[in-house]
Amino acid sequence: MRLLDAELSHSREFLPGQWLQGYHAPWLAAGAQAGQFVHVRTPDYSGLVLRRPFSLNTVDRVTGDITIHFRVTGKGTEVLARMRPGDRLGMLGPLGRGFEVDPRTRHLLLIAGGLGMAGVRALADDAVATGRQVVVLFGAASAAEVYPSTMLPDEVEYLVATDDGSMGHHGRVTDLVADYEAWADQAFACGPEPMLAALARLAKGRNGRLGVARLGRKGGGRTAALGSAAARRASWLQVSMEQTMGCAVGACLGCVVIGVDGPQRVCREGPVFAPDEIVWDEST
Amino acid sequence: MRRKRSVVTSRTPSTAPRIPTPGSGQTIRKPARASTPVVATPAPTPPAEPMVVDLSIDLAPTRPGALVLRNPLLVASGTFGYGIEYGEVVDIDRLGAICCKGTTLKARIGNPPPRVTETPAGMLNSIGLQNPGVDAVLEKYAPRWVTWEVPVIVNVAGESVEDYVAVARKLDEQPGVAGIELNISCPNVGKGGLQFALDARAAAEVTAAVRRVTELPLLVKLSPAATDVRGIAMAIADAGADAICAVNTLSGMALDRHKRKPLLGNVYGGLSGPALKPVALRVVYEVAQVVNIPIVAIGGVSELDDVLDFLMAGACAVQVGTALFADPVLPVRLIDELEQWCQAHGMASHRELVGVALPAHRDRPSVKGVEYRP
Repeated sequence: MRLLDAELSHSREFLPGQWLQGYHAPWLAAGAQAGQFVHVRTPDYSGLVLRRPFSLNTVDRVTGDITIHFRVTGKGTEVLARMRPGDRLGMLGPLGRGFEVDPRTRHLLLIAGGLGMAGVRALADDAVATGRQVVVLFGAASAAEVYPSTMLPDEVEYLVATDDGSMGHHGRVTDLVADYEAWADQAFACGPEPMLAALARLAKGRNGRLGVARLGRKGGGRTAALGSAAARRASWLQVSMEQTMGCAVGACLGCVVIGVDGPQRVCREGPVFAPDEIVWDEST
Repeated sequence: MRRKRSVVTSRTPSTAPRIPTPGSGQTIRKPARASTPVVATPAPTPPAEPMVVDLSIDLAPTRPGALVLRNPLLVASGTFGYGIEYGEVVDIDRLGAICCKGTTLKARIGNPPPRVTETPAGMLNSIGLQNPGVDAVLEKYAPRWVTWEVPVIVNVAGESVEDYVAVARKLDEQPGVAGIELNISCPNVGKGGLQFALDARAAAEVTAAVRRVTELPLLVKLSPAATDVRGIAMAIADAGADAICAVNTLSGMALDRHKRKPLLGNVYGGLSGPALKPVALRVVYEVAQVVNIPIVAIGGVSELDDVLDFLMAGACAVQVGTALFADPVLPVRLIDELEQWCQAHGMASHRELVGVALPAHRDRPSVKGVEYRP
């Protein structure tokens, strides 16, 4: 974690209202893991007092560039969208705990809803680079909001579901999971909370699939503590959560989600959680 | 009066050297620390250097050496956790003091999320005093606090006078705790929140009760929601507080226009940030006219001008809160800027500035309107 100034290298609106911005931040890129985030300072403190958290969308360790992907929803993101290459932006990061990929995992299933693509996108790069097979399931309201397949690595299998049926499967992205459930060694999801809650229901009872090889070995029956890296690795599904954030380092306790063991800070214990750490809102 | 101890580090004046403070006739002592050798501040500088500015400030003048800060920039409770969260990002040993997250007798789970939201020139929070309880806090963090040079002031909240007293007793016996900030003004909890800060008698009662069980420097944090802060401040000062902190957050709310519902999980939240600064300035200005104990200003400090305003209005130190979220190193920068400002204006200490804006005679209270003059 460090405070740094990142220089904007490119910025484009690749979908209506959705922007992809690249920043040159070598120190950040060198140490960041897929699933971590940066806390971005808006240039205008007098009006906008909070930083904005963004998932590290892609991390290029060779060039030292990172990208963030955001939708313009308010004043802060409007200011960001108006920035031009060469402008500098204050960042704090990398923050949070990233995705835990088991070394034995060969098949990764990534499930993204809308802007949730930003949360799992970096993992697709990592997995492809380490020779793993990746399927990305993506859900959006309509074809106009579908993440372009050209922005994903070529090796990735990409399936789309839209709520209005204008592209791909007509329905929820969670409908597509059943086809890949048996194939996937681990699944990683980011998106609206109802989507994550539905996935958490699907994932119940699927944990420890990779643990079969451990049977009969010493310590094979030991279960890792809830929330530990080992427990998350053993979980079939990991979800990246979102919450409005204050400090992003765990000091203010503003960004909590309700967990089984009490409030969990998205910025510190998260943003990635195993679904059995979270108390899901079953009404959604 | 409680028994005297010989090893409690922050309150052993006999081992602390006397440091002459230029600009004022008095001498103040720096608190001695257990693990670190006592270093005299300000460091002796060669005569060719620019004027030495003494930024030190004694927040408990009646307890010599108990809470002398190297500089008047503190970090506010709730925005800096227990001092370790920012890690290497912030050089905590440069800060004047750290006020830790509100601590209660028993663990509190806090309010339902969402807990924070941005508002025009400010933010709302309704954390609801989530904390693991005083025992867990001391067990986990006090061993680290002992090793730090920066004093740690523990913010204490409770549901009843007995709660405050019980927590204060535990803190009194704890090395590493430099002082107590009585949080009687949290707007985000049901019992034990504002009820103490809005009523002079209740405020005096809890202050006096805590005063009886601890020798630690005692700071009491006022609410901006009080109708007549003067009466409450006077009652707190009379009850034995060493200093007054002004102010806590002001209750407010925000709506989620898509869901057509209150945005925060707790509906109401405390307003902080630059939007609160004029209110805090008014409270400091009013309180400074009626009490003789030090005042620590809190409320929207985000640049040097804010620090100067609060000093001129009668505060002798300031806490930085919300602005930390945008710029965690702001307090450290403000210390340097304040020193340079004092040098540029030929001041040997920022204390020369304290209260210069106060009127010669007591101003009318803010709750009283101006008489109609035709």
